Amino acid sequence: MTEVIKSEPFVINIGPQHPSTHGVFRIRATVDGERVIDAEMVMGYLHRSMEKLAEERTYIQNIPFTDRTDYLASMSNNLGYCLAVEKLAGIGVPARGDAIRVIMAELQRLASHCMAVGAFTNDTGAWQTPVMWAFREREKVLDVFEMTSGARLTCNYMRIGGVAFDLPKEFEPAVRKILKEFPKFIDEMEGLLVQNEIFLVRTRNVGVLTPEMATNSSLAGPMLRGSGIAWDIRKADPYCGYEQYDFEIPIGYQGDSFDRFLVRLEEMRQSCKIIEQALDGLPGGPHSTQVPLALRPPAGEAYARVEGPRGELGYYLVSDEGPSPYRFHIRPPSFINLSALKEMTVGGTVADAIVVLGSIDIVVGEVDR
Amino acid sequence: MALPFLVDGASGNWYDIRDLSNISRLILENADKVLPQGIVYVLAPLIGFVASFLIFVLPSQLIVGVYGERKIIGRMQSRYGPNRVGPFGLLQPIADAIKLMQKEALTPTSADRAVMYIAPIVFVAPCVLLFAVIPFGPRMILANIPVGLLYFLAISSLPVLAAFMAGWSANNKYSLFGAMRIVAMTISYEVPLVLALLGVVLFTGTLSLQDMVFWTKEHHIWLVLLQPLAFVIYFICVSAELNRTPTDIAEAESEIVAGYLTEYSGMKWGLFYGMDIGYALAAAAFGATVFLGGWSMFGLDRWFPPWLIIIGKTHLFYFLFIWTRGTLPRLRSDQLMTFAWKFMLPVALANLFVVATERIIWVKGDLNDVALYGFAVLNIAIAAAVIVAWSRFLGYRPERNPLKPRMMKEARGYVPVVAAAKGDGR
Amino acid sequence: MGTRQLSGPEVAAMAEALVPGSVAKTTDVACYLKPETVVHTMEALRTAPGSDLVHLTNLCGVDFWDHFEVVYHVQSFDKNHIATIKVEVMDRENPVTPSLVPVFHGAWMQENEAYDLLGIKFEGHPNLYRIFLWEGFPGWPLRKDFLSMPGGLQPGLGEFAGVARRPEPPVKAIE
Repeated sequence: MTEVIKSEPFVINIGPQHPSTHGVFRIRATVDGERVIDAEMVMGYLHRSMEKLAEERTYIQNIPFTDRTDYLASMSNNLGYCLAVEKLAGIGVPARGDAIRVIMAELQRLASHCMAVGAFTNDTGAWQTPVMWAFREREKVLDVFEMTSGARLTCNYMRIGGVAFDLPKEFEPAVRKILKEFPKFIDEMEGLLVQNEIFLVRTRNVGVLTPEMATNSSLAGPMLRGSGIAWDIRKADPYCGYEQYDFEIPIGYQGDSFDRFLVRLEEMRQSCKIIEQALDGLPGGPHSTQVPLALRPPAGEAYARVEGPRGELGYYLVSDEGPSPYRFHIRPPSFINLSALKEMTVGGTVADAIVVLGSIDIVVGEVDR
Repeated sequence: MALPFLVDGASGNWYDIRDLSNISRLILENADKVLPQGIVYVLAPLIGFVASFLIFVLPSQLIVGVYGERKIIGRMQSRYGPNRVGPFGLLQPIADAIKLMQKEALTPTSADRAVMYIAPIVFVAPCVLLFAVIPFGPRMILANIPVGLLYFLAISSLPVLAAFMAGWSANNKYSLFGAMRIVAMTISYEVPLVLALLGVVLFTGTLSLQDMVFWTKEHHIWLVLLQPLAFVIYFICVSAELNRTPTDIAEAESEIVAGYLTEYSGMKWGLFYGMDIGYALAAAAFGATVFLGGWSMFGLDRWFPPWLIIIGKTHLFYFLFIWTRGTLPRLRSDQLMTFAWKFMLPVALANLFVVATERIIWVKGDLNDVALYGFAVLNIAIAAAVIVAWSRFLGYRPERNPLKPRMMKEARGYVPVVAAAKGDGR
Repeated sequence: MGTRQLSGPEVAAMAEALVPGSVAKTTDVACYLKPETVVHTMEALRTAPGSDLVHLTNLCGVDFWDHFEVVYHVQSFDKNHIATIKVEVMDRENPVTPSLVPVFHGAWMQENEAYDLLGIKFEGHPNLYRIFLWEGFPGWPLRKDFLSMPGGLQPGLGEFAGVARRPEPPVKAIE
């Protein structure tokens, strides 16, 4: 047929204004019929040059910036930055501060994965139902954030040397309630989608990443684990006392979109497990060490990383003994996870490209910074 | 003497609400006396149309189609749905319509203005025509034509033309995608749809929808029980043609923005949106008539207004559309075509074969209704067997699908998939 | 337990064993590779079973007024160690360094970012373009001589007694 009917490829923009791009991100896809033959990423619509701005503010003033990179995982971003500064300046954190940090980071993972899973199912065309269910659960986590830090989205809760405030007394019952209800929601989600044949044909073998490709493309987080690589910073390079908690790393089978979905669902279960342990063994004592407001770490460099919801979230800081970082570099997981987008997209259809983009789970605030 | 409203069928009295055609006949007979000869023949369809529109289409479309769908889907998604305008948000559809009328209907500069203007009109007209052949009662039918089923199928394939006009004229790439997809999809899904309905026609021996209802009434069995396979195929095909969610690739929101509707706004878009629901209601009414026994309800229609029965059944059928929409993800366009040609078509042919055989046995053996019940049980078993067997033949292996990811205690590099592990992927 | 941070001399020993003469200098935390052989050395470090540095975790450039440093954090999954490898780019006017895209596909995006914000040209990169900013954006924002305000914005510590202001930058702001 192709010899008889002459057709020519044309360019279709998926984004920046499109119902299913996650923020202002644009794929410039060249399509031949429905098949994508070339995909080019266009980004920078949300670029705020945070790395430059951070060089002109003190170490403590920079914490709110990290909220606004990955605005769906502000706690993890706070944590990564604070760890980097603590590593640079050699500041210790009290045990209670560590435990609170772990609880907050894992709650943030729940909230962020809710968003990721919901938006991903929305991309496959499950008309709003899973995403609404996911948002319902995410609200509860955000309520806990609100009662603890005063903010729902950009929490600005971690401090260098600990956390900003101690936990309120309503905190524990609220988290216990979440821990009770969350597994039910995950089961519900699994019941709706995991054996759903339409969902399977849409996501199985779509956007397949071989382990070699995933490694070589510097991917991280659920993308890497979906391809069958057991790599989790919480296990490999424990921080905040993650080594005391008993949890497992879920990994996928063949690295397609469905595997990433499965991994995210299971990670939520494991997060619940970690929160429960941390809450049971929450030590007393101070929640933070006293750190001078004008912190001047010794000259040097530090690269600290945490396992954010989207993968390895690293902060590379260079200090020149000044009151502000000499160089402030974020290793944004969702930006680097986009490295493999073209390889996953080309050859599939337009609908597949959307599913692949959804399975990467980008946050444009973090991609563009 | 029995009470007038307990007699079988309509009493003929104008106040008998079980048969609204009495009122119209009364009006027409009186009008014939005063008006010049022949005018009533023009007036009769008008009255019928206005009546069916006022009683069925408008309330259904507004209350059930717009409000109910949003409310039900809202509940499925654990939210409230409209609850601000009027009592329980009941006036929301009207508020929406007013808003849409106030909006400017933009036309892109590069669009083909004439075609883009005509497309919504072409889309609306067939929808109104479709309700002409739906029987609402023993005598409540606007046009009891002998080929009602054929008429319905012919008219219901017209809106594709409008959708294609809309998509082509907008001069937008997303619209073009939507237009191409809907044409390809409709052509694919007409075939199994007609084959499935052919089985029904074969068994009842008529193409008239009213006669089908009478057949159902006579044999005391709904065709959904007698031909479950045909019902399933009808439901899937019709939801594909209506662009309902599991198959709404033509206006797939997450892929091609709004498909052929991308460039439409204001009431032009409103016509498309409203008539989408109109078509869904027409398909539901048709399905209820053919498969769910129409206005008959095992003798209940003698006492209860039959037109309320068919409306109830229509909305029951429509609820299935809402349910699938609130639950299922969307198929990809090529998977949808594959499904039509590789799965539905053979299954429809198998259904036709089974039905034809049973029809011959039934007629030659001169069997009674009890044989039909036997056929129904047999056909339900056959439907389940055919669906399972054919899907497995095509490679459906649910047991191979991993339900859980592999769990690792330690972080290390690549963990090869062991073939013996549970769920080795597909 | 935990990822082992390879010290500079350790990495240097590995690199020297694989590609002799590839190490420029060594500090406690980092190993500086020579730009001419960096691609070759990284490829060797990636494939050699002893080093197994398969995952280019982080890549960024740092402006040190007179020269740039490109910092690579490379991770091994199987051995669970991480190495800090640096390359110095001495020419400030026209900073060019070899691209690592032939070795690590993940360098594609990160090198584009470093080019966009710091102006370091990566030779051999298949598609080097300004990934965030538009083509023709004046200057390179993350360079120290690019000031977001004329005269530079000082850390907001003016009200704290005893906090000295940073010395004025030696280069003027781009007008």
